Amino acid sequence: MSARLTEPVLRVDNLGVRFDTPRGAVNAVSGVSLTVGAGEVLGLVGESGSGKSVTLRALMRLLRRNATASGRVIWRGEDLLAAPERRLREVRGREIAMIFQEPMTALNPVLTIAQQIDESLVAHRNLDERARRARAVELLDLVGIPSASVRLDNYPHEFSGGMRQRAMIAIALAAEPSLLLADEPTTALDVTIQDQILKLLLGLVADLGMAMILVTHDLGVVAETCDRVCVMYAGRVVESGPVSAVFASPRHAYTHALLRSMPSGEAARQPLTPIQGQPPRLDRPIVGCAFAPRCAFVMDACRAATPPLMLVGEGREAACLAADRLAALETVA
Amino acid sequence: MSAALPEDAAGEISGRKRTRRLRLTRVPAPLLAGVVVVSFFLLCAIAPEAIAPYDPIAFDYTALLSPPSLAHPFGTDQFGRDILSRTIAASTIDLQIAIFATIAPLVIGTLVGLFIGYYGGWADILFGRLVDLVVTFPFLVIVIAIVAVLGPGLFNMYVAVSVIGWVFYARLTRGEVMVLQQYDYVAAAKVLGYSQARILFRHILPNAARPVLVYWMTDMALAILLGSSLGYLGLGAQPPTAEWGVLIADGKNFFSQAWWITVFPGFAIVLCGIGFSLLGDGLADLLDVKR
Amino acid sequence: MNKTGYIAARLLQIVPTFILIGLVVFVLTRLLPGDPVSAMLGDRATDEAVNRLRAQMGFDRSIWTQFLLFLERAVTGDFGSSIAYRVPVTRLIAERLPVTLTLTGLATIFALLMAVPLALVAALNANRWPDYVIRVVFQVGLSSPIFYVGLVLLTVLAAWLRIFPVGGFGETMLDHLWHLFLPAITLALSFAAVIMRNLRASLMEVLEAEFVEFARAKGLPRQIVLMRHVLRNALITTVTLVGLHIGALLGGAVITESVFAVPGVGRLMVDSIFARDYPVIQALTLVLAVIVSVVFLVTDLIQMTLDPRVTR
Repeated sequence: MSARLTEPVLRVDNLGVRFDTPRGAVNAVSGVSLTVGAGEVLGLVGESGSGKSVTLRALMRLLRRNATASGRVIWRGEDLLAAPERRLREVRGREIAMIFQEPMTALNPVLTIAQQIDESLVAHRNLDERARRARAVELLDLVGIPSASVRLDNYPHEFSGGMRQRAMIAIALAAEPSLLLADEPTTALDVTIQDQILKLLLGLVADLGMAMILVTHDLGVVAETCDRVCVMYAGRVVESGPVSAVFASPRHAYTHALLRSMPSGEAARQPLTPIQGQPPRLDRPIVGCAFAPRCAFVMDACRAATPPLMLVGEGREAACLAADRLAALETVA
Repeated sequence: MSAALPEDAAGEISGRKRTRRLRLTRVPAPLLAGVVVVSFFLLCAIAPEAIAPYDPIAFDYTALLSPPSLAHPFGTDQFGRDILSRTIAASTIDLQIAIFATIAPLVIGTLVGLFIGYYGGWADILFGRLVDLVVTFPFLVIVIAIVAVLGPGLFNMYVAVSVIGWVFYARLTRGEVMVLQQYDYVAAAKVLGYSQARILFRHILPNAARPVLVYWMTDMALAILLGSSLGYLGLGAQPPTAEWGVLIADGKNFFSQAWWITVFPGFAIVLCGIGFSLLGDGLADLLDVKR
Repeated sequence: MNKTGYIAARLLQIVPTFILIGLVVFVLTRLLPGDPVSAMLGDRATDEAVNRLRAQMGFDRSIWTQFLLFLERAVTGDFGSSIAYRVPVTRLIAERLPVTLTLTGLATIFALLMAVPLALVAALNANRWPDYVIRVVFQVGLSSPIFYVGLVLLTVLAAWLRIFPVGGFGETMLDHLWHLFLPAITLALSFAAVIMRNLRASLMEVLEAEFVEFARAKGLPRQIVLMRHVLRNALITTVTLVGLHIGALLGGAVITESVFAVPGVGRLMVDSIFARDYPVIQALTLVLAVIVSVVFLVTDLIQMTLDPRVTR
């Protein structure tokens, strides 16, 4: 789990994504920097609208036409944001794959699972038809779909929710990618199935030596599966670091508030405190820390300028002027 | 595992409020264009003599088949009648068609749809069969067949269109009522013991009427197309009544020498149809009706 | 429900539809003002002629017997004789129906050839100038009456530029198709506008779909994403639309055939009204409605093969 010391396979530098809408520009993501090491699982966590899904899509340049991405996405030494479309198609699916929240809408309803695996293999692997079929059966086996060779010719609507999510994972893994981008892969599923799918993903990451970026709004999922976590708020990364350290003693007031707003096994005796207010609108310039209006630790300096990400411990960063006070809080408690 | 972040429900609500306020201050461009075009034709229809430069039926043997000029912007026909004036005069009949061919279906269909949607039961099943049956007859063919039985003419055309047309309004209204009935405010009105008439006409009808209104605009455009087509075929308005389709039929034998006799009344049909379509699109936008 | 069951149920459904179509057409003829027979023969018919036709059409029996008789004759294809042409109505229709079906078939092909590529261009450039241009052109097409478009094309392309024949129907099969070319284009224009509007909307919906994003994320070539994922799914609703539009298309054929003097059933219908040829009108109304319901059936079956979810 800790292959962190090696050179990261993915390094994101100062990523920004702007949407031009009829009602003006929306800066959905700004100044996001992060790294993913080989075999590492990074959690990207935040409320809806915090920019986590947009960040994920920007990595492969899967953005809508009205979006502009800036910054750099360095994949194995190559900037994907600057790469030509042709090169990008080689990376997509073969080197970096993606799975989605809702397999019912992410799978093409009129193609069988076999066809949807096959087209990936045709695009990325030089195999004949029989070999592709064999590989497809192997993939369904891999993700734990029973009687794979029969189910292969089923349509998505003929699967149950959990099985459908397994099928989507199989399709994404067809060309053996080295990095899997998972966008809320368990949110649409029943709680019991959620667990199975997360275990499956973790097992696949370990067995295939993949890295994974897991986007979720569920802190429990992060705690259970990730090595490191990036917390996003209003389009920025506000805190990052090893999951255990961040969860045990957050250094950003938002992370702190977030952890206090949800029930957790470890801090069971504390009363739950919901975060007051709403996230800011992103179609206007934000002066200072975006969380300041809702923050219990706010001070004048927070409203003056956006606090930069600062080193707050080993492999930990936070963009919070109250980081020290938060650290002190933890030692007292 | 259940420790999920709060979803942004509050933001969504405020977003909805925002769009509603915007909608009130912003008149959709198509609506504006539609209103302008349709108002223009209405004006022509109500007071053609005030707008037309010549008497539409006055012969002028000094200007037979003269091409468009300053004196006659749309030219003249074989009797020297001014095409511009005739086109303007014809708008009276064509707008009349737009209204008379749709008003009975609108009123009857909406009422029937309202009751069928609200009470359901065997009437609804029967209505379903009726719709299935009606759509198997090509609209123009069944209208022509009915006109054939009743005899050509405008009034018989209105009857023929109404006999079939109400079904489409009823189908639309019925569907809307079925959806509206699932809403809380209708249930609340029922719980409060409001009379059925009050629930139907005060609570359901105003909401069900929005898509019906939008459909009506499109239907008026279609009625003009149908009316002028029947006029052209000789089954609708009868000469010498000035109607766009009849004018075009009048001029078709001179088309090679005097294209203007047919082309300009055709422009009127196209423009008027676009006007009503824009009105429908704009209203759909304004009333938030999905089509 | 499985596939075979669905097909069987759908096939059975068409039988009551046929009977109801028969009922409507039967009622329609009974609505003729006064005595239908004298209406058919005109005011100056002799009593003898009236009585002969009356007995021939079974008007001296009860209304139910008459309806059953009518159905029986309809099934065997006996619609009596045309008053104007003095030949069996069935023969008259059989001669002219292929012309109309060829015309509508050609029009459908032309409409799809126009609408599908343009809808793709419009949807891919949504709310930019190519989209606006295409939508404005088609809005004009949608608001233009068929007889007007036909007249303009006929005059400009046939009479002035002499690219196409002005009228007539030619001798050979190829000649026929050549004579049908301009009428088919005329009929296709408004149909293309309807298809294009619908397909553009459904393309835009599909373009937003997550499975298209997934297909792109898989690194598939652009044309595969567009054809296999976007267009194929968007066309499912278009197939239904094309099927549902058959009625409007046949109605349009009536007008087109009148403008271009095409010897099909549409022109026959209009001619028959002026000739008071009621047996022909009655038979045509029935035959066209039956054609529509058969096309609806075929559309459902095609829909089923295109969309595996239908039989769920």
